[in-house]
Amino acid sequence: MSNTAAGTNASALAEFDRTTSRWGQLTMIAALLLSLAGPAYLVFFADLGVTGTMVLTAALAVGASFFVLWFVEPITYYPVLGPAAMYQAFMIGNLANKLLPAAMVAQATIGAKSGTKKADFSAIMAICGAAMVHVLSMLIFVGLLGTWLLSLIPLEVMEVTRIYIFPAIIGAVIVQLVVSAKQPRITFVAVGVALLVVFVLVPLVPALAKLATGISVLVTAVLAWIVRDRNAAAGKAELVN
Amino acid sequence: MSPLLPRDGSSTNIIEVANTPILWVFALAVFAVVIIQSLIYMKAAAKAGPAADISQTELRASFRAGAVAAVGPSLAVVLVSIALLSLFGTPAVLTRIGLVGSAATETASASIAAGTMGAELGGADYTQTVYAVAFTAMSLSGAMWMVCCLIFTPLLRRGDTKLRRVNPGLMAIIPTAALLGAFASLGVAELPKSGVHVLTVAASAAVMGMCLFLAKRLQAPWLREWGLGISIVLGLVIAYLAHTAGA
Repeated sequence: MSNTAAGTNASALAEFDRTTSRWGQLTMIAALLLSLAGPAYLVFFADLGVTGTMVLTAALAVGASFFVLWFVEPITYYPVLGPAAMYQAFMIGNLANKLLPAAMVAQATIGAKSGTKKADFSAIMAICGAAMVHVLSMLIFVGLLGTWLLSLIPLEVMEVTRIYIFPAIIGAVIVQLVVSAKQPRITFVAVGVALLVVFVLVPLVPALAKLATGISVLVTAVLAWIVRDRNAAAGKAELVN
Repeated sequence: MSPLLPRDGSSTNIIEVANTPILWVFALAVFAVVIIQSLIYMKAAAKAGPAADISQTELRASFRAGAVAAVGPSLAVVLVSIALLSLFGTPAVLTRIGLVGSAATETASASIAAGTMGAELGGADYTQTVYAVAFTAMSLSGAMWMVCCLIFTPLLRRGDTKLRRVNPGLMAIIPTAALLGAFASLGVAELPKSGVHVLTVAASAAVMGMCLFLAKRLQAPWLREWGLGISIVLGLVIAYLAHTAGA
């Protein structure tokens, strides 16, 4: 390859980086604001009696449970995704179970070696393909069909679904996490801490009920670090999004 | 639908509020942004393709492979989303569960938020006010993921060495501990609520355990993808039988 061709390639790739970074950021900021617009409407304009204190308390309690993951997930995924795909992945969600496998299948299909520019481009196109399929299936099967289905379901079934949907999710999610994390020590600590917080601490100090999850998270994290297996090689972190 | 009737939020008719037309508009707008982003990326990739040593045919093949690979997982998310419609309404499910977050984190956030109002997700005290607070709290938490992505991506791109020097052991243990701590606590908190709650958590956990076991034993990775949906449906069937038998 001549020097001029190499120069053209470098500038074409630099332009690609600029375009995807700039538009990736702009579209992500747009999605960020639009995803907050709905709740903002309910809080400010829907006359539902929501106060600032209610929102703040709830947001702090949720934040106490998840703030570690806000920071860790982007840092963990960056080496796998690269800058351009980061803006796609954190908007589309369902990263681990959908986007990463899609990217790997695509790279295998065209025989692109990971770490090459070819592999990066293949991954970006695969995520675009996955995004399109995902967006369409959500709009058709949930947006249209699901809403229609909801109108057909007997009230009694709706009631039961609403009351028990959370326990029906949480049992499965815990098992999934425990199995994929393969960290018996941390699992043991987490369950022990949860039992103590819910059945001992909260009955003793009912005021802490609102912060029960946040307290469990922090205590589990600290204890897990203290009792960690210092000889084991660093494993892979578990991620949910 | 008649939005903006005078109300105080004490009604438990969540769907009336959750399916307000303006929420649909914002939800569809988020979907539009995702589509626009993909189109921009595809155009940029096609333009710079030759420089990256990838042909237009290979770009198209990659797009197709990604699309096909996403069909199963997407439909699995659809099943979970439909189960959550009665709790959050369609627009919130589309944006929170369908995009941005995941069923696990978003329902966990909603449950924690409802708890701060002394209410139970989907219970008799799950009013429109509680719904609005829960939806807001989970959206704010989801927004923080995007804010961190927006902050860290440019830093990591510049090869910020401080971020890369974070102890790898810390990065492996703390997130796992935080996740297990959060979900174990939320799971245990369901137990004192009623016998049917205990049964539902146990059934859902058992079904997931079965799915993961069979996925490994039968080399059927689709069971892993569909595990959550199957666990939710069977968990709800058992909850329904126990609930109606007890009532």
